[in-house]
Amino acid sequence: MPSWSTHLLTEYFTAVNAAEDERSAIAGAVERAAEMVDAEVGAVVRDGRVHGAYGFGPVVPEPEVLEVAAGQPLLLVPNVGELHAVANPLGDQAGEALVVARLAEPFAPEERQMLQGMGQVLGLALRSIRVLAAERHLRAEKERQATSAQTRQRLVETLLTIQRAISARRPLPEILDAVTGGASSLLGGTTVALMLAEGGAERRLTVASTSGGGCVPPESMARAAMAGGSVLVRIDARGVMMAAPVRVTGEMAGCLVALLAGAAAEDTERRDQLAAFAQQVSLALTDARTVEAVREAHHDPVTGLPNRALFLTILSRVLASRATVEDPTSVLFVDLDRFKAVNDSLGHDAGDQLLAQVARRLKGCVRASDTIARLGGDEFAALLHDSSAEAATLIGERIVAAVKEPFRVAGREIFIGASVGVAVSREPDQKPEELLHHADVAMYRAKKDGPGRVLAYQPYMHAEALDHLSLRGDLQRALREGEFRVQYQPLIRLADGKPVGVETLIRWFSPTRGFVSPVDFIPIAEEFGLIVDIGQWVLETSAAQVARWRRDFPELGLNVNVSGHQLVHPRFADNVMRALAIAGLPSSAVTLELTESVLMSEPDLGKAALHQLRGLGVQLSIDDFGTGYSSLAYLRELPVDELKIDRAFIARAELTGEDLALVRTIVDLAQILGLRVVAEGIENAAQLAALRRLGCGYGQGYHLCRPTDAAEVPAKLLSASIAVLG
Amino acid sequence: MQINPHRWFGVGQSGTPDSARAGAEAAHAAVGGRPPKAVFVFASVSHDLPALLAAVRAEAGPDAEIVGCTTMGELGSAGVTDGGVSVAALGGDGFTVRVKVAPINQSDPRAAGAAAADAVHGLHDDNQVLILLCEGLSGRPHEIVRGAYSALGATIPLVGGFSADDRRFRQTFQFYGDEVLSNAVIGVGLGSDGPIGIGVAHGWRRTEPPMVVTKSHGPHVYQLDDQPALDVLLRRNNFDGSAEEFFDRGRQLQPLGLSRRSGEDIRVIHAGDDAERSVWGTADVPQGALVWLMEGDRQALLDGATQSCAEAVARLEPLPPLGVLAFDCGGRRAGLIEGGLDAEMRAMHAALGDAPYAGLYTLGEIARVRGALGMHHLTLVTLALA
Repeated sequence: MPSWSTHLLTEYFTAVNAAEDERSAIAGAVERAAEMVDAEVGAVVRDGRVHGAYGFGPVVPEPEVLEVAAGQPLLLVPNVGELHAVANPLGDQAGEALVVARLAEPFAPEERQMLQGMGQVLGLALRSIRVLAAERHLRAEKERQATSAQTRQRLVETLLTIQRAISARRPLPEILDAVTGGASSLLGGTTVALMLAEGGAERRLTVASTSGGGCVPPESMARAAMAGGSVLVRIDARGVMMAAPVRVTGEMAGCLVALLAGAAAEDTERRDQLAAFAQQVSLALTDARTVEAVREAHHDPVTGLPNRALFLTILSRVLASRATVEDPTSVLFVDLDRFKAVNDSLGHDAGDQLLAQVARRLKGCVRASDTIARLGGDEFAALLHDSSAEAATLIGERIVAAVKEPFRVAGREIFIGASVGVAVSREPDQKPEELLHHADVAMYRAKKDGPGRVLAYQPYMHAEALDHLSLRGDLQRALREGEFRVQYQPLIRLADGKPVGVETLIRWFSPTRGFVSPVDFIPIAEEFGLIVDIGQWVLETSAAQVARWRRDFPELGLNVNVSGHQLVHPRFADNVMRALAIAGLPSSAVTLELTESVLMSEPDLGKAALHQLRGLGVQLSIDDFGTGYSSLAYLRELPVDELKIDRAFIARAELTGEDLALVRTIVDLAQILGLRVVAEGIENAAQLAALRRLGCGYGQGYHLCRPTDAAEVPAKLLSASIAVLG
Repeated sequence: MQINPHRWFGVGQSGTPDSARAGAEAAHAAVGGRPPKAVFVFASVSHDLPALLAAVRAEAGPDAEIVGCTTMGELGSAGVTDGGVSVAALGGDGFTVRVKVAPINQSDPRAAGAAAADAVHGLHDDNQVLILLCEGLSGRPHEIVRGAYSALGATIPLVGGFSADDRRFRQTFQFYGDEVLSNAVIGVGLGSDGPIGIGVAHGWRRTEPPMVVTKSHGPHVYQLDDQPALDVLLRRNNFDGSAEEFFDRGRQLQPLGLSRRSGEDIRVIHAGDDAERSVWGTADVPQGALVWLMEGDRQALLDGATQSCAEAVARLEPLPPLGVLAFDCGGRRAGLIEGGLDAEMRAMHAALGDAPYAGLYTLGEIARVRGALGMHHLTLVTLALA
């Protein structure tokens, strides 16, 4: 909320300038100033006399008012009391001041600043009126009189425009440009520059905005005006140079300077006009500083972007101020892929650096008038004005492309991605929360289709999101009612085609939904904490089954997938050992499969449990090896026995030289570290032959044996070697 | 036996359409057989006003100062009336009353305010207040109040209200003695040897975003944020139709709040022009001002009533209130229709500890205790006497 005082100056300016003579200008100025600051009394001191005294009643204490103009901070008003008083100069003329005083409390700095502005505005109006009055007597100069009146009108209009820009919170550079542009135009196209002092001991001056195009007056001029604290005029061969200091809550902050080329004499009216513009700069900067204070409460400290609350406020304002409901307003919900892995493996500082860089890239993808916000965690949002779904989707794709480019954080290259959901306002009374939620739902849907996608919200997605919630209930029921079952896929030793083990795969056939893929329900089971129970059920079921099969296939091993949520469960190791004990399966027959990202997400917690299990004989396998991010350091730190090469590396029907080189690297690495290597997703004979040539020890895949129900497994175990050898 | 306490205050109301009877009933209840020093009469413009005043005079006796004005509804301890009359009377040795009447000259409305302020001259009581009852359709109410303030200064508080003509916005009247005046300011200087308390509160809040008045003249607003003002108001209210339909459908009063140090200074917009796309109210809306559309829910308005009464009564401490004059904005009624008016009366009863009160719904209120600003809209101003 901008401070009330910044709202008033232009209103005041307009009122004072409407006056036609000095007396009414003074009376209007005093009354409005008093009303605006809740002062009981006010007056103008001019030529050593008190004018326009207001609020004193029939007897005006003239000597006391004159003392206030000379600097006395208290004013005794008979029958009212001792009032806090402040005198505000009307210009450079010593002793000329707008005086106000109030009983309640002293004037705050922002009030003083506004009153200073009011004093200057009044001084300007009075001189302008005086010029007009003088000119009225000169018929010959009738034309010039009209011009002067027009100039005054233009000044009012220009200042109104600037005031509006301040109130509307236009970006500061835009406001400052409006000030120099307005001043330049009013001063007949002369060069006007705004120099602002930087922080630090040197207080260097930089040109924040300039208009008019000519050469900028020297910095020394600005410094002199700032040191003197008042408008400075110098005349030399180049013309008349004027400098009006700019204050921010009383502190000298810079200077507005103008060079009137060719002019040869001091010009009071133009000097005052420049001072009025300097006052506007002061207001804009003060307001901006207030904004800065407010900003801290509404911005995310890591990225400097608006936070969720502010984003919703801005969105609400944009939605409310749409000229017509047809103006589309789009919201993008951006979720980073793989951010958590970076944060967990490289630390929070690196994570924060990455977020800040992401924020910068996101900003680069939208227009300056659009808004990017960080909603929390790795979630961002963008608000796009006047943007159709198509245009917003294009921006979303631009964002995905920008985030895909590598980032440099903590001295290394980081690769992440982004998924984007798009929602466009259609309803006339669209709620901001609702619009953001739609974008969120679309993002969720986009992410489900795989990382790096952009999807626009469709009502069916809402149903899907609801479905997501009902899925939770169904999962709980599935566990209770025994709707899950397991299938087994043999692991084959490539050298001789012998099955050495089976990997357990969970299947869910829901009576209401039909077959539900683990890809769909495992994340939800993880999200709602059901995965621990489901995982335990899988382990117990398959351990008992494998124990039975081992009577006919005594060397048969069991591979079971473990979710990160299970790994961090404090009783994970106990649960595993209990399941094996009940089933009567030796721990050495069991290999737990973990994905790389799981191992990295909770390195410390996981490590303890894994070492404990390893100590008890359970083996560990890294699933989807090569797809995760980050180093191989954990291979040294964790008790790993097996690497499973992700199917992505051997997905091509005919493996290229590059594919082969990658696989060879992994195989070589495993040999050096003494690990088993299992290739996943072998789908044809060519792939199988190539992997055998590379020395890959084990394999899985449709070409070797499809996942199958328990009842059919023994037969498969007997026949599997044929496929390899054939 | 005639009862004549040191200071007394009584109220009466009547809803009867017979003007003479209405005046007599209300005045009889207020005066209660005591010789009043002042009788305040607030009556609907629908009454035969001379007949009503003559009946009041018959009850009040020849020495009482009779003052008052027409209303947008009357209120008092007995409730709210439309087309009725509400009367307050006060008397006793503890009160002094002087009245000054001034006609409003369109070119200089503040002169009327200054002249009416003369009413307090010659008062020597410890506690004084100037009560102003003013023409509500002069178009420059602020100037009238500024005129009074410029004459008196900060030494004496101001209260009062602007007369209305139900909802016609054509001609309002002021009462002085047995005369019915128009376009006048009645100044009542009231002195008391007991304390005087004034309360003022509204109960409206801003709706974002604010707008800049980019073109206005007096009470006429032509542009808000560089767009036709009528279009802006219609759009902000999601209203599709003409100005007449808009201002006639329960939304007829659109409060605009001007940003001020102490909160909002409210203006009430009550009409618009379809051809010109402009809107207007009864008071000046300065060009360049930042304004908010104001909204009020019933509870906030009721809380405002309680706050105003409590503030006025608190200034009487330790004495209890003898009686209260109330100047309630006609615009507040819009937010309190359908049962809310009774609730407001109950809130006032509760806050005043059952002290009698009488007053009117106005086209603007006057209250100045601190600062220089005395003109208000959409407020409840209360003057409590002890």
